Amino acid sequence: MKASGILFVLFSFLIVVGTDGCSKKDSDSIKIGVLLPLTGSQANFGEMEKNSYEMVKEQVNANGGIAGKRLEFIYEDDTGKPDVGRASAEKLININNVPLIAGGYSSSVTFAACAVAQQYRVPFLVNTGSVDKITQPEDFNLTISDGNKFYIYRLNPAVSEYASGLEGLLSTVVKPASVFIIHENTAFGSEGAASFKKFAEALGINVLDVKSYSAGVIDFKPLLENAKKSNPDMVYMISYVMDAALLMKQSREINFTPKLFVGAGAGFTMPAFKENAGNASNLVLSATLWHQSLPIKGAAEYFDSYVKKYGGEGPDYHGAEAYAAAQVIVDVLKRCNGDYTTETIKSALDKTDLMTVFGPVKFTSYGKKIHQNKMDTFVVQWIGGQLKLIWPKNLANATFDYPIDWKVAWE
Amino acid sequence: MSGNEKIKLLEIKRTEWFILASAIAAPFIFSFSPYFQGLLIFVLLWVIMGTSWNLLAGFTGQVSFGHAAYFGIGAYAAALPFLHWGISPWWGLLTGGITAVFLGYVLGIMVFRLRGPYFALGTLASAEILRIVFGEEKWLSNGHNGILYMTTWVSKYPYYFVALILTIGAILSVKIVMKSKAGYYFLSIREDEDAAEAIGINTKKYKNIATIISTFWAGMAGAFYMIYMGFVDPETVFALHNISIITILVGIIGGVGTIWGPAVGAVIMVLVQELFRSSFFGFAPDWVSRFHAMAFGLLVIFVILYMAGGVVGDWDLIAKKFRLKKSAEQ
Amino acid sequence: MIFQTLVYGLLIGGLYAMIGIGMTLIMGVLGIINLAHGQLMMVAMYITWVLWQYAGIDPYLSIFITIPLIFFLGQGISKYLLYPLIKKESILPENQVLMTVGIGVVLVELIRAIFSSDYRSVRTSYTDASIRLGQISLSVPLAIAFLISIIFTIGLFILLTKTDLGRSIRATAQDRSAATLMGISVKKITILTYGIGSALVGAAGVLLLPVYYLFPDVGPIFTVKAFVITILGGLGSPIGAIVGGLVLGVAETFGATYLSMGYRDAIGLVIFLLVLVFLPGGLKRLTKI
Repeated sequence: MKASGILFVLFSFLIVVGTDGCSKKDSDSIKIGVLLPLTGSQANFGEMEKNSYEMVKEQVNANGGIAGKRLEFIYEDDTGKPDVGRASAEKLININNVPLIAGGYSSSVTFAACAVAQQYRVPFLVNTGSVDKITQPEDFNLTISDGNKFYIYRLNPAVSEYASGLEGLLSTVVKPASVFIIHENTAFGSEGAASFKKFAEALGINVLDVKSYSAGVIDFKPLLENAKKSNPDMVYMISYVMDAALLMKQSREINFTPKLFVGAGAGFTMPAFKENAGNASNLVLSATLWHQSLPIKGAAEYFDSYVKKYGGEGPDYHGAEAYAAAQVIVDVLKRCNGDYTTETIKSALDKTDLMTVFGPVKFTSYGKKIHQNKMDTFVVQWIGGQLKLIWPKNLANATFDYPIDWKVAWE
Repeated sequence: MSGNEKIKLLEIKRTEWFILASAIAAPFIFSFSPYFQGLLIFVLLWVIMGTSWNLLAGFTGQVSFGHAAYFGIGAYAAALPFLHWGISPWWGLLTGGITAVFLGYVLGIMVFRLRGPYFALGTLASAEILRIVFGEEKWLSNGHNGILYMTTWVSKYPYYFVALILTIGAILSVKIVMKSKAGYYFLSIREDEDAAEAIGINTKKYKNIATIISTFWAGMAGAFYMIYMGFVDPETVFALHNISIITILVGIIGGVGTIWGPAVGAVIMVLVQELFRSSFFGFAPDWVSRFHAMAFGLLVIFVILYMAGGVVGDWDLIAKKFRLKKSAEQ
Repeated sequence: MIFQTLVYGLLIGGLYAMIGIGMTLIMGVLGIINLAHGQLMMVAMYITWVLWQYAGIDPYLSIFITIPLIFFLGQGISKYLLYPLIKKESILPENQVLMTVGIGVVLVELIRAIFSSDYRSVRTSYTDASIRLGQISLSVPLAIAFLISIIFTIGLFILLTKTDLGRSIRATAQDRSAATLMGISVKKITILTYGIGSALVGAAGVLLLPVYYLFPDVGPIFTVKAFVITILGGLGSPIGAIVGGLVLGVAETFGATYLSMGYRDAIGLVIFLLVLVFLPGGLKRLTKI
């Protein structure tokens, strides 16, 4: 009797909890699901995005909400794992009955969770997950013309487009003959490296080698010595913040001086990169999706009020993506005329044409992608301890410091 | 084998019929919520993994710290033909278990030469090596990008019943083998391998039998995971903590060396994790969800300290403590 | 290039040895696979970081505060959580190992609750310093780590071979009941040994912090490295641990230089399996110490 007794107790407990959990209904608010890593190793990014969502929510609700209803975000913690991400998306859809899911930080989690949303036909507005296939219907057994059956929308550019802002800089100013690519071996890292390789080859830059590393490296010098030996004009790195700092510090240590060090966003634009790398971060370039000094209405205000509210060094492009996603959500819900169902929201998303702190947002189709917001990317450089926008030239707030004398920069 | 013996091997108690009936009824009771049905499927998945591990570790004494290796290879057995040739992952239900058995045999040549903690570390290292290889060899496995497959149905019912059939298969196979002669040999190997050898038991043969059954079900669980989740990547399916260790803890919490221990352990494990992760389904304040991992860690410490036999193994003790209360209620 | 790689490998190997030496003691004497090893190191790193951040204490000086603290933490864990299991009847002897899993999870989550998941690091005048010898650059903090781990190894070696306490520890490792008969308090020695093992990995954390960075999940990667070193060097052998650490460091660095950085971790694990199968007992079998 013992085993069945235990199972019976557990079962009845589940039923009680389960039925209660569903009976809670609140018609005064509109609930939107947000999937973010709030614990685990990516939690600091998730926290930054959550804060940004909260800022929009508070502002909207202070101004009377949406058509008299309060906006509410229900955060689910994906813990940085694809299977938890899927379960969380199911919970948002089935238990919280949200008509729209937003968020999505890591590429693999976002992709896995999007498949759930697609199957349940609930729109998913991705704001950070960046592998290309997220907005490629062919990866979801659909075709480009199936826009009305495809429920995934993406506000941020795909990882293959991160470096597009570099094109002008590389082809007109630096003209490097060769590049050495270093990347972390995650979905984001390896896809970013593969697409940068194609990008470089198209520009006629010789790709000397593509090397990956896994998390937990203390000593990058074996890798960097190899890179140094091949004598590249440029090093392109896809790394998170602390690895980025170690890569630069150890490059300085072995006196590895190519014409350019370029980061692919991610860790290279974070204040913690500068803090940890110290002078070794000086004059390092990075592709970026956003910078607070861009002439976008609200960008600087967002940055300042974030710092005022949460302190610290302020958000980077991840926070801006989240803030913009929340702005899009507010705009979409306002255009729903009180009908907050998945299909209405989906058609409102289709018609989105909004200026956000992250730039203009409009979901278009091109290449293999649909529902993808196409946008320009930018190039920043760490100059005198500050991240300065240096490219494109007409938007720059500092002149590109080049050619670089690393001996002086690293002093 | 005589007819009488066959009946004896397949003897099923009344309570077990009751459990089966409630397991069949469960998804219908939860028909209002696919999310809860999803949790039930996870429970079954962990029952299979825990049962698989328990046969090798709990009954035969070979404590594997690398069951993720078999789980992961089963998942990739379902996923790789899909990636390369577009073959449906459902075929994994045929190939997943067998692939895992094959891997178990190959690794067994190496790790069965090891005893105790060395065996544990050997299995742990094998799973870790597979994780790294499947992450690095992009031509083979698509690396860290993982493999995505749009799952066949939105409805949970078919998945639930596939999982239930696998679960019944796993539990039944362990029940049958433990009632057979092989089962006694397993136990004697667990108690003292040298003594077992000395009294003429071919320990190598019986350890291999336990491994074949154990790895088969771990591989099937992996294949089912791919079919149900529609996504694999090396960090998920070969995970040291999230697969290998959780599998062990399912066994420990429920009761090592008991038929029903892993089932109880799986229910508790999924329940505790999900209750905390979802802040008790929104009843508790948000910060509770931050402690889902800690709650689980504390549960493990508590069970090991105070219920060394697990919930099923120490059920009599637990029942005794609550008996007074129970009679008062009646 | 080969000589350069060798030097880099040896330097990082010194640090690895320091991480492994506590594990070899715990596994050798207590027979526990300490899956909380990396987590104990992580706690030590946080203590060091706090002392540096808020009290301005140099990371290397804080060794005198961190080590005793981690020693007491280890003793407490051993006394209240691990030792009671020895007497408990359980089907599997691995219960202690699983207990360390639970302890590891709780330590990580406690630290996360206090410090959040943010990355931390210490920055001192010497953290980025290096000495150049021709083509080779010696990172100063790695060189310091190398020297300190040699000192600790010798210290532990003397403790184990020349003192009464050391003899008691070794006696307990060899035969618990015989040790009891000889009048050794096995309980005290068991608890103490886990404390010493923890203190040693705590010291490793102090040495790692200046060259690396810190977050709550930093531990597990290093736990696996500690196994490899322990099996390679042989259980309970400090000399084995330092040789094992150096071998691992050199093998990884050569692998990273000439094969692939991605397979760096696999190299250690393959060596580990080969040693398990073909040289059970590790290098200790060859060196006898």
